Order: sequence, then C-alpha cells, then structure tokens
Amino acid sequence: MRLEKCWFCSSTVYPGHGIQFVRNDAKIFRFCRSKCHKNFKMKRNPRKVKWTKAYRRVHGKDMTQDSTFEFERKRNRPERYDRNLADNVLKAIPKIDKIRVSREERHHKNRMKENEAKGQREAKKELEQSISLVKAPSALQQDPSLTLPKTIVKVSQQKSEENPLMEE
Amino acid sequence: MAATFASRCSRVGRSLFGGLSNSSPGLFTKSHEMTCGNYFSQVKQQRTFIQMRTVLKVVDNSGAKQVMCIQALKGKKGARLGDTIVASVKEAHPNGKVKKGKVVYAVVVRAAMQKGRCDGSQVRFDDNAVVLVDKQGQPIGTRVFGSVPHELRKKKHVKILTLAGHIA
Repeated sequence: MRLEKCWFCSSTVYPGHGIQFVRNDAKIFRFCRSKCHKNFKMKRNPRKVKWTKAYRRVHGKDMTQDSTFEFERKRNRPERYDRNLADNVLKAIPKIDKIRVSREERHHKNRMKENEAKGQREAKKELEQSISLVKAPSALQQDPSLTLPKTIVKVSQQKSEENPLMEE
Repeated sequence: MAATFASRCSRVGRSLFGGLSNSSPGLFTKSHEMTCGNYFSQVKQQRTFIQMRTVLKVVDNSGAKQVMCIQALKGKKGARLGDTIVASVKEAHPNGKVKKGKVVYAVVVRAAMQKGRCDGSQVRFDDNAVVLVDKQGQPIGTRVFGSVPHELRKKKHVKILTLAGHIA
C-alpha cells in the first residue's frame, strides 16, 4: 500500500480513491478525485490554477524549501523490515508533522506581516477623505475632536538658504 | 484531433446505419450534438466497452496495424481491459505474419474505459490497443510495444507480460 500524491492538486491519494491514467509514453498520472481528473482533461496547467499546491508553491504562498520535506521524499529502495526502525519512524511522524505545520504557520505570518500597518494606513486615509459621508462639514468645524489632530512639522531655516542655490 | 473527430463521427454514422441495438444512448445524444456543428462538444466523452465494430490498434509485430472487433468473447456489453476478443484485420503491414481480412483472436492490453483494481483504484489508458493471440492464448508476435497492465497476470497472459516493455 502506498499513499500517492495527486498530480494536479498534490493532495494525498488514499487507497480506494481516485483514478490512475496511464499515458502512451508510460507516464502515470494519479488523481485524487474527478475534479482534478477533469481539469487535467481540460489541459489546465496546475501551476496556473489557484487552489492547487503547485500554484501556491510557485507564487510563494506556501513554503518551498524546508528540511521537513526531506523526510517525505519518495525512496524506491525497499527497506528490510526492522522492528525498532519502524517503531521509531511511527513515533517521529507526528513530531515532524508538528514542526512542519508550525513552520508553515510562521511562513504565513511573515507573509501577512504588513497587513496590519497597511490596514491602519488605509483606515486613516478613509477617515480623512470620507468623513463627510458620516458627518456634515459644518459639524466637523464646530467639534474638532471628530477629525484627526493636525500634526505640526517644524522646517529648519537652513533649507530656505540652500534652495536658491539648488535652483541655480 | 481532427482525425479522431472524423473517426468518431464515422463510427457513430456506421452504428446509426447498422442499427445496433446495444449501442449506448450516449452515442445518439453525441451524434445530435455533432450535427449541430458544435466541434468542442459539451457532452462528456463516454468511454465504454469494446464491442462489435470497435477499431483497435495492434501493438505487437505480428504484421497487423488495425483490427476491428467482431465479437467480445466474455461479457454481455463488451470486452474490457484484459479480455479476449475475436477480430478482423483491417490494416496490415505488407509483409507480416497476418494479412488483411484474416479473423484473429486478440487480447485487450489498453482500454480507454477505466477498470477497477483490487485495491479500489481505477486505471485507464489513452487508447484501445490489442495484442494478437492464437486460439491457445499465445501471442503471435514476438514484441509488444507500449505499456501493458498487470491485470494480464490474473488472466494468465504471462507471455505478453514478459514481452512487454513497461508494465503499468
């Protein structure tokens, strides 16, 4: 029994699921479900289809290089059964999974880092520009607490002397 | 693609004129779609059994190139992957063991219709291909091209498996 990867979406194909398509050049394509199979028949490129793992890896949405992926590499040499080895592997699998998941979360958080600052900037801009949708301008002049406080920027005197020189 | 369209169209035409009662209703709906002038038909291509009048490719060096099924030996609806059929040679190499017009037995080694495997998965190939056999089940040719499924082992066509280049 072997858990394969779907050629289109890269999810695991468990036994009893999916279709295996053998092309005439002897290349075997495995699909996890008919959705992937139909997309393949439509000749869609998985690197361009948004919900596939291939797209996410190519566009940097998901982690690509990590040492935890080395453990899942396909090895074609059958290992001689060793009870201790099998036991250790079974113990290690959940640990490796936990590490991989935490690293993926970190990658995702790194990607989403700028969102908070961006959201603040956009909110500030919206408040400045569209406050008139909510409050009438005359009300704003009377009650200055509704607008953002105006920041006073001090300009040093040296700059005004340099400017005529720069203009020349 | 034009060639397959033409062959598919002609096959449908022949079946209509032949008045085959056991052709699937999908064929009739498909022919109607085609007469509407819709080249890229919306109807899903139904892959069915290998039955009378099915043209198959020959993938051994027995001399024949194309063969038309006369009878599926087992199965009410038609032959599937791994079954034997009786066929008439429609196209042959000029100097080969088999000549055009000869009635031969053949084993289906590639079928476009999916076949279920004992682990629950389904396999399907790109085309319908056949290896010519004698009445005892021994292949007439000495080489087999392309990939063959390991369903043949269960059907006791071990000789074909040994001659095969690739086992799917």
